[in-house]
Order: sequence, then C-alpha cells, then structure tokens
Amino acid sequence: MTQVSVTVDERHLSALDGVVQGLRARGMQVDQVLDGLGIITGSVPPGTLGTLSAVAGVASVDEQRVHRLPPPGAPVQ
Amino acid sequence: MIDPQVPEEPGSVRHGAVGPLTRTTGRQVLVLADGDGPVDWGRAGVRDVADSRDFADGVVPPEVLRESPAVVFAALGIAVVAADPAQVGVLAAGATGRPVLSVSPELVHHVLEQGTASYARGYRDGVADLTGRLLAAPAEEPAGPAARFEDTRQATWGVQAVGADGSALSGRGIRVAVLDTGFDLDHPDFAGRAVTARSFVAGEGPQDGHGHGTHCIGTACGPRTPPAGPRYGVAHEAEIFAGKVLGDDGSGTDAGILAGMNWAVTNRCPVISMSLGADVAQAHPPYSAAGRRALAQGSLVVAAAGNNADRRAGSWGFVGAPANSPEILAVGALDQALVPAWFSARSLPGRGGQVDVAAPGSEVCSAWPMPARYNTISGTSMATPHVAGVAALWAEATGRRGLELWATLVQEGERLPQPSVDSGSGLVLAPR
Repeated sequence: MTQVSVTVDERHLSALDGVVQGLRARGMQVDQVLDGLGIITGSVPPGTLGTLSAVAGVASVDEQRVHRLPPPGAPVQ
Repeated sequence: MIDPQVPEEPGSVRHGAVGPLTRTTGRQVLVLADGDGPVDWGRAGVRDVADSRDFADGVVPPEVLRESPAVVFAALGIAVVAADPAQVGVLAAGATGRPVLSVSPELVHHVLEQGTASYARGYRDGVADLTGRLLAAPAEEPAGPAARFEDTRQATWGVQAVGADGSALSGRGIRVAVLDTGFDLDHPDFAGRAVTARSFVAGEGPQDGHGHGTHCIGTACGPRTPPAGPRYGVAHEAEIFAGKVLGDDGSGTDAGILAGMNWAVTNRCPVISMSLGADVAQAHPPYSAAGRRALAQGSLVVAAAGNNADRRAGSWGFVGAPANSPEILAVGALDQALVPAWFSARSLPGRGGQVDVAAPGSEVCSAWPMPARYNTISGTSMATPHVAGVAALWAEATGRRGLELWATLVQEGERLPQPSVDSGSGLVLAPR
C-alpha cells in the first residue's frame, strides 16, 4: 500500500465528509481526517494514487515522505 | 532571482530565456498554471508523455528524462517538452486546457566562472529534479569573523543573541507546540510547568527516546533560571505542547507530522515549531496548504531550513520540505559570529523556498533527557526553536497572530551583513 496525503481544496473545507466518501469509493483506506488543515491521510493500492485526483474537492494527492533525524550523538542535528 | 538584470514583471508570460545563454537542448520548459487540471497534450501533437506521478516517489529515472519527448513534473507543475515552434504556439496559447505561464528553451549548462555561476546555479537548482545533482561551486573561504557571543554563566549565547535575556516578556499565556521526538516529561528543569504531551507515532508514548525534541523544547520554552547551568530557554513561561511526530529512531512520516500540526492548530497554539524535514527541493503541497490554513487560524509554523549545505566545501545546499513551502517560516542557522553556520541550507532559486529568518544554531546548549540533563549540539533544528520562542514573546507582547506575527518577526529583526539567501531578513530579536 502507498501512504498518501490528500489536500482538500478551499471550497470543500466545510464538506470534508463528502470528500472522504469519494476517496473511499475510489479505494482509499482513510486513516485520518485532519479537519483543522483540510487534509486527509491514508493509503491506496500501489499505482492507484492518481485516481484520487478525480474526486470532487481534491486539490492534490501526494505520496507521504519519511523524515529522519540524525542519531542522538550526531554533532549536527 | 534568476537574472537580476532582467526583473520579471508579475504575472507576465515570458517567452524565451533570459541571461547568458550557452546551448539549448531543443526542448522547451513549460511552467503550468497552479492547479491539477489536465493538459491535452495530444491537441498540440505531443505524444508519449511521461508523468512523474507514474514513478515511485515521483523520481523520474534519468533515462526517461533523456529519451521521453515530454516529461511532466506533476508536483512542480513543470513540463519539459520536445516541441516545434507551431506546437509551442498551441501550448502557449492555452489551447490545451491548463494555462501555460511561461515557455523557455531548456539550456545546457557547464560550470561557469564567478559572476555567471549564480545564474547557472539558479537555473540548475530550479530544475534539480531533472539533474538530480547539486552544484559543487568553488569553495569561498570565509574570512572567519570574530565571535560576537559566547555562553556565560548567566545565559547561552543564543539566548543573548536574540535578546531574550534582556526582555521583560516571558511567553505567559502563549501555547508553543513543538513537533518533534517528544519530551522528557520527568526533566527536573520543567517541574511544575504546564505541559500537554501527545504522541502521533504508533506504538510510542510522548516520552522522548531520542533527545532532539527535549533539546528543541528547552530552547523554545526552557526556564528563566534553571537549577543548574545558564539560561537556555527563550519563552520561559510559555505553555508547552509537545507533539511526538518522530519516533525514538528519529524518523516519521507526513501523516504523523500533519496530524501534529492539526492538533496544534485545533488547540490554538500561536506558534508551531518543526525542527524536521526531508531533503527535497520541491515544496510539498500538503505543507503549503497546512501552513496557509494554520496562518489563517492564527498559528505560525516555523521550520528548519535544513542542514544539507557544506559551505566549507563550497556546497550551499537547499531549503528542504516542509520549510520550502512559502507559507512556512524557514529558519537558517547562525554561528557565534552571526555568520551562517557551515551546514545551514541556502534559499532555493526563484520564488518560494527561501530562508526567511536566521537564529543561533551552532553549539547550542539546551535540555536533554535525564540523566544527561544537558547537551550542546548544532543544526538548523536548534535555530528553529529560538525563533519559536521569540515568536511567543512577540505574540504575548502584541497579541498578533498568524501573518501579522510573521511580519513582526521580520520587521523587528536585526539585518545582517550576509546574503539574504542565507539569512533571510536577519536575526530574530525578542521584544524589550
């Protein structure tokens, strides 16, 4: 599965539920609905990320990145 | 930014490149309008279009870059297309759906001598996704100016440099969220402080198993008079919101970080400090949206520019995500001479992706999980919470939030005799 972040456009911020339904209908497993930011996170089968863009209210769909700090002993953090 | 001799008019559609041309590849670089609308390439007779979304991590392999007649970098809204003048005309006229903002010939660059190097650097960094390489410019040995600050028994050099030790403000009543590796909840320097801690890392509580988070919280919100050692914290009476978005191994994903931001915004934290990032040159759309929406709700997001420079070797690095979203305040690191630290990342060329402000980030002493109690480390991660703390003081002093608070930090900062690409508007300063 591919972890994704779906950014909802301004016009649909007050109608997140509908966007969530649309995403689920296209096969997304929704993990979090971040209503303060208008972002929905979850996962989709590999290679199907692009299909979420067609859901009404979706501004962008982005694969999640991993952020990593140096180990605690590193001089530059 | 790319060519200071030819200022670009806002909103203008530019045809042809500016600056000292060398060679072109015959392909055209198209900047597409914002949005995710499709482009009807077929209408311009362009076929076999490769889309970065079709590749893992959006990384288009070099052979595809070289051989495809058209490559779309979806996250950048940029396409490189082999098109003849008639096809370019169709594309530029917007007849293919999504508007095209500019069309420029793709250039071939070589390492250039001083003077023209900045142009080459600007262009090459701008298409870093294409080249996948960083410029290794000739080293410029800094003159090594004398230190202006040093740690004393009263306060660390960073607390002195931002003027926190001379400020009557304390951050009282201001919630400061630090999204990091959590917090040492038993640290004796924070006994009796208001702390709300929450983990967004599966299987881990908010206790800091790394040290980075405790260090950052110490700098932003550490006490005015620690029981042992000098003062290292800026907003010593701020209310601490410790969000664990990076695990004990120091890593975390966008989902956890966005969840932490959402938590902080929902809890009305005027300041959100994020000493984290990924070394990618393109702004990540979710962070741009999150930063913009946080600002609109009164939360200023402050993030580390990144440590991917090695200025000693002539490598300037670039501001990574999320700090390279223009809606997020990017912080560069200074050393004790108020010169950019050797590791501190430089602004990306063009709009956005810039270092916005600078703060102490070299040899910074702050809290560390017990039993160590204190640790001295360097990084733009250490500069970021200095800014967060100063922002909390200004939020308390003025009542300003969001973009107004951002503007206040810039307005009240001390300009430095350093390139703005490295230090932005300069050193942040606390209210008196």
